[in-house]
Amino acid sequence: MRTSIINTIFRKEILEVLRDKRTLYLVILLPFFLYPALFFLIGKVGQSQAGKMQQEKVTVLIDPALEQTPVPALIGSDPSFVIKVQAFDSQALAEEKTTIGIRVDGDYAAGLAANESVILRIAGDFSKDLLDGRKQSITGLLNKLNQSLLEERLQGVKLPPTFAQPLLIQEEDLAKPSQHIGKVLGAYAPMLLMLFIFTGCIYIAIDITAGEKERRTLQTLFTTPVNVREIIAGKFLAVACVGLASALMNLFSLVFAVLLQAKIMGGNVSAISLAISAQGWVWMITLIVLSTVFLAALSMAVSLLANSYKESQSYVSPLMMLVLIPAVMAQMPGMELTMTTALVPVLNICLAIGAIFKGAFSLPAMGLVVFFALLYGLLALYLASLIFGNENVVTGEKVSWKLLKG
Amino acid sequence: MPASIEARNLGKRFGEVHAVQEVSFEVHPGEIVGLLGPNGAGKTTTLRMLAGLLAPTAGEAFINQHSVQKEPQLARRALGFLTGDMDLYRRLTPVELLAYFGQLYEVPQPELRRRIDELVEAFGIGEFKDKHCEKLSTGQKQRVSIARTLVHDPAVVVLDEPTTGLDIMASEFILQFIRRMAKENGKAVIFSTHHLDEVERLCDRVVIIHKGRLQHHGDIDSALAATNQTRLADAFFEMVR
Ligand SMILES: Nc1ncnc2c1ncn2[C@@H]1O[C@H](COP(=O)(O)OP(=O)(O)O)[C@@H](O)[C@H]1O
Ligand SMILES: [Mg+2]
Repeated sequence: MRTSIINTIFRKEILEVLRDKRTLYLVILLPFFLYPALFFLIGKVGQSQAGKMQQEKVTVLIDPALEQTPVPALIGSDPSFVIKVQAFDSQALAEEKTTIGIRVDGDYAAGLAANESVILRIAGDFSKDLLDGRKQSITGLLNKLNQSLLEERLQGVKLPPTFAQPLLIQEEDLAKPSQHIGKVLGAYAPMLLMLFIFTGCIYIAIDITAGEKERRTLQTLFTTPVNVREIIAGKFLAVACVGLASALMNLFSLVFAVLLQAKIMGGNVSAISLAISAQGWVWMITLIVLSTVFLAALSMAVSLLANSYKESQSYVSPLMMLVLIPAVMAQMPGMELTMTTALVPVLNICLAIGAIFKGAFSLPAMGLVVFFALLYGLLALYLASLIFGNENVVTGEKVSWKLLKG
Repeated sequence: MPASIEARNLGKRFGEVHAVQEVSFEVHPGEIVGLLGPNGAGKTTTLRMLAGLLAPTAGEAFINQHSVQKEPQLARRALGFLTGDMDLYRRLTPVELLAYFGQLYEVPQPELRRRIDELVEAFGIGEFKDKHCEKLSTGQKQRVSIARTLVHDPAVVVLDEPTTGLDIMASEFILQFIRRMAKENGKAVIFSTHHLDEVERLCDRVVIIHKGRLQHHGDIDSALAATNQTRLADAFFEMVR
C-alpha cells in the first residue's frame, strides 16, 4: 500500500463531498444545530405551556353545603380560580374542560366538632393537563387548611404540633447539578451520536461506492495501477472522516448547548465539569473514533453489495434499525456494561459513552469495550475489502453472494 | 519487434457460460487493430481481461510484455483503457480530473503539469476547464475522457466501442484521434466496434470473434480471401453465421 496513492484518493473523495451542499447540511450543520435547537424548543414549549396553565381561568363549583366554611375563601385566594357556590352533577362535570367541583360528605361543622375526618371530594376530568395541574393547587391549599385544623385540635388537648408527626423526613440530594445533566445525557446522547455517525458514514459510503458504480466511474479507477486495498483505504478514510466530523459536530453541539443553557439559567454549570474527567474525554473520543471505524466499514460493505444507488438506499433503513435498536436498548433502566453487553456492537459503545457522561466508568470495562469495538471495526473492514475485490464490483456488474465466495 | 498487446489463449467462464475461449492475437506498436463480433460475442470480456478488470480463467494477457495477471501494476501503467460506459467524476473540473488520474499513475509532478497543459491544448479543453464535469456536453465529456486515457502517455490504448452512441462529428473526432495515436505517436491500439466502415478506414488488421471463439486474425485482405468475398461486411457475415 502506497500512502501517497491513498492520500490522493482520500483528498479527491473529500473534495467531492465538500462540493455537495446537501451532504454538508446533513453531515455537518444538522448535527451541530441539533442540541441548541432541541434545548431551545423544549424550553420554549415548556415555558408557553406553563404560561398558559397559569393564565387560564378555571371555574371551581363549590357545593352549597360548604358555603359557610373557609373553603370558598381559601380557593378564591388564588386569582386563577373563579368561585361559584352551586350544586353540581358529576356526569355533567365530566364533560367540562375548565371546571372543577368540590363537595363534602355529610356535615362539615358537625364532623369537625366530633373530631371525625370530614371527607372533601375534588371532582373533574383529570385526564386534562390543565385540570390535573389545578387539582394539585387546590389540594395544596386544602392541605394548609388541614394542617391548621390539626393544630387547633392538638391545642385543644394540649399537645404540641409535632405530636402528629413523629418522623419528619427530609431529602438531601448530594448530586451536583452536573450529575443530573449527566444522567439525562448519558441516556440520550450516545444514541444521537451513533445516529449521526451512521448517517454521515452511510450517506457518503453510498455516494462513493454504489454511487460511483452507478455513475460509471469506478471501472476507470480499477484500470489504473492502483490496487484494491489502496482504493478501499482511501475511500474508507474519507467515509470515516465524514462520520467523525459529524460525530464531533454533534459533541460540540452538545457541549455548546449545555454551556448556553447554563449561561441563560445563570447557574455555574460548566460543560467541561459535566462530570466528565479529562480521562473520560479521552475514552469518549477513543470510543467515538472506534465506532466510526465500525460504522464506516459496515456502511461501505453494505453499499458495495448494492447494485445501484436506489438499492443501497433501500438498505439504509434496516441498517439504521440495526444500529438504533442496540442504541435504544442502552437507555433501558438497569442496562449496564457487563461482560455480555460489552460484546454487543453499538450497545457496548452506547453503554460506555453513557457511563462516561454519568461519570461512572471503570478502566477494565472501557478496555474491554475498546477491544471489541476495534475487533468489530476490523471485521467490517475485512468484509468491505472482500466485497470490493470482487470482479463484479470492479466491472460494475450485479453482485451476488454466491460469486463473492467463489 | 515485440508485441505491445498479446492475448495468449485467453478464456473466461462465468459459471456455465464460456464467454471467451482460446482467443489469441497480437498488436504491435503503431498498429491499429479492430475487434469485431456480434453482440455477446465476447468483445468486452476480452478487452476487460486485457485491462486487468477481469481475471481470465484460462490463458494470459500481456501489455508491453508484462503479464496483466502477474504484474498488474506494470501492465496497467502502460495501458490506457476507455469504454463508452465509463463516465467522469461529476464534481471535479477536467483539470482536477486529469491531475487525479495523473497522480494515480504516479506521473511526476512537473511532468504531469506539462502533460495536462498539452492535453488541454490538444483536445480544446481550455474553454471549459474550470467547469464541473457534470455541466459538460457529451462531446466535451468525450474529449476529457480521451485526455484522461492518455494522461500517463501509455504505450497501449484499448477502447471498447468508443463510438457507440456518438453522432457523426464526435465519432469522427475519435477516429482521427485513434489514427494520430497510432501513426504519429507509435501507440498500439485495439478497439471494438460495430461499424465495419470504421474498420476498413483505419485498421491494419482485424480480430473477429463469434460466440467467444476466434474466427479470424489478420489483415482485411486475408479475411476477404478466406471467405471469397469482396467486401468486409460480407466476409464478416460469412464468418459469424
Ligand atoms: N459478469 C458476467 N457474468 C456472467 N456472464 C457474463 C458477464 N459478462 C459477460 N457475460 C456473458 O459473456 C458473453 C460475452 O459478453 P460480452 O463480452 O459483453 O460480449 P460483447 O461485448 O461482444 O457484446 C455474453 O454471453 C454475456 O452474457
Ligand atoms: Mg460489449
